[in-house]
Amino acid sequence: MLIKLLKAEWIKLVHRPMTKTLLLIFLLMTALILSLYFVVVGLALGSFGFQVALFNPVQIEQYRLQLSFPGMFGAILGQVNGIGGICAIIITAGAIGSEYNWGTLRAQLARQPNRAMYLTAKLIAIMLLLLIAILLAQALGLVLAFVFGGLLGSVGSVNAGDLINLPIAILRSLYVLLPYVLFTAACSIFGRSVLAGTAGGMIFLTTDLVLGGLSFLPNTDGLLAFVYSLLVQQNINSLVVRNAYSFGLDPSIALSRFLDLAILPSQLQAVIVIAVYCLSFGATAYYWFLKRDLTGAA
Amino acid sequence: MPNVIETHKLSKRFGQRIAVDSLDLQVAAGEIYGFLGPNGAGKTTTIAMLLALVKPTSGQAFVLGYDIQKNASEALQGVGAMVEAPAFYPYLSGWDNLRVFASAAGLPNSAIERALSMVDLSTRAKDKFRTYSQGMKQRLGIAAALLHDPKLIILDEPTNGLDPAGTVELRELIRSLAADGRTVFISSHLLHEVEHICSRVAILKSGKIVREGAVADLLKRDQGLLLDLASEHERAAQLLRQLAWVADVRVVGKQLEVEAPSERAAELNMFLAQQGIAVSGIRARESSLEELFLELTQTTS
Repeated sequence: MLIKLLKAEWIKLVHRPMTKTLLLIFLLMTALILSLYFVVVGLALGSFGFQVALFNPVQIEQYRLQLSFPGMFGAILGQVNGIGGICAIIITAGAIGSEYNWGTLRAQLARQPNRAMYLTAKLIAIMLLLLIAILLAQALGLVLAFVFGGLLGSVGSVNAGDLINLPIAILRSLYVLLPYVLFTAACSIFGRSVLAGTAGGMIFLTTDLVLGGLSFLPNTDGLLAFVYSLLVQQNINSLVVRNAYSFGLDPSIALSRFLDLAILPSQLQAVIVIAVYCLSFGATAYYWFLKRDLTGAA
Repeated sequence: MPNVIETHKLSKRFGQRIAVDSLDLQVAAGEIYGFLGPNGAGKTTTIAMLLALVKPTSGQAFVLGYDIQKNASEALQGVGAMVEAPAFYPYLSGWDNLRVFASAAGLPNSAIERALSMVDLSTRAKDKFRTYSQGMKQRLGIAAALLHDPKLIILDEPTNGLDPAGTVELRELIRSLAADGRTVFISSHLLHEVEHICSRVAILKSGKIVREGAVADLLKRDQGLLLDLASEHERAAQLLRQLAWVADVRVVGKQLEVEAPSERAAELNMFLAQQGIAVSGIRARESSLEELFLELTQTTS
């Protein structure tokens, strides 16, 4: 039953113009950001005929590593949590909220009344789509590493350890998107619309980023530091930064000194805290979806 | 005949408002059953409860023998439904929209072809749903309902947006579905259509059934007789008013409308003949379903 529903959800998702547009935007934005890194490194190394150092040499080296193998893998996955999170919110809100807006949810559930199965199939389809987006971004990274790395004089190399790390890192990236997907799903179901889902997801993302930006809190002792370590963004950062480290990058140099594994939550805590967020958002989404009547036209 | 739909004291309350009030409904297998009522009477809420989209506040509903609250999956396997407006994905073609439903039910492409051909939509199957006319959307909704060859078909306002030719085609389609042994449950505002195709109807008002039964019986009940007279209309009316079993008499042109049981037609004819008044014609006066509907639903609640 789940496979059949998954197939139906997949048809809806992949044929939707919004999905293709978002995927294109995600890939273009990723390419644009890496192009900016290329310009920054090129200027610092004098590759364009003149030399402009916008950052210190240690930072420039970090940017250079992101433009060659294996750093490119980590650089691409770093974008998944940023632009990818926004895309995940919009895709989820669209996939769930539109069913209310178009009235198609009633038509679907009038044939297949197992609501839990229906929502599960929808969420799995969304996560599969996000996985494919990550794989496509990695394919783009492959091309960019050859182009930018080649132009800068070093494409780098990939060893067996990198190839083992890659699927683990991709799973980490998918896992950090899950709270956004589930929170957006809950908002779409509660508000019975795309707008409610998108607004809820964006507010969550923004609030979390703002709270995560209160970077003085980890330096305090006691309750404040503890509460800070339980914010979803801190725990997401912990996993995203681990992805970067596993491919030889150090975001605490390139991006922010607070993206240091020494001050971020441990991997175990990150996995557990994110799981707790996911369970609470998921349970809320399922509770509303299973309990509420589907009344009236959209 | 076993009942395909059966409800016992089925009720639904939204806050203080009672949408459906202790509804007892029985629809037998093979019937074309009309479910009528003005806007807000509770028709769609009842249908939504039969499809497990809305949970009843109290009471029970059985569909194809299954308790819809306990065994919705089993019950709805044999049900094809279109609730309110036909709802589809605007960016998909008609074919792909049906493929979504067919995939979820594990049906082959041949089921899609068959359903599209039944509603005469095969030639536009590859066009996007958003380019369809209202009538085509309606037909696609019916095709989706027929996709898995259901035993019970529930159609909520199926003739909305259909042109006269489309309405006639739908009427024929519904008849053919019933002829194949399926049960069709239709909610509609088009009383003329319902009168022509339904074997039984229920008229709903404020969540309650105010009249239910075979269409022919409903139209005959309390209708009276029409008498054709050549002359002496006023005298005939005065004489008939004296009879205990005649409720009222009206002179309408060369006819008399007599509110009396139709089975006393011969007695009435004999009475007038004895008074020297010749009756050239006598027949039961049947009002339309529309008249009955308006009479039942426009009375003060």
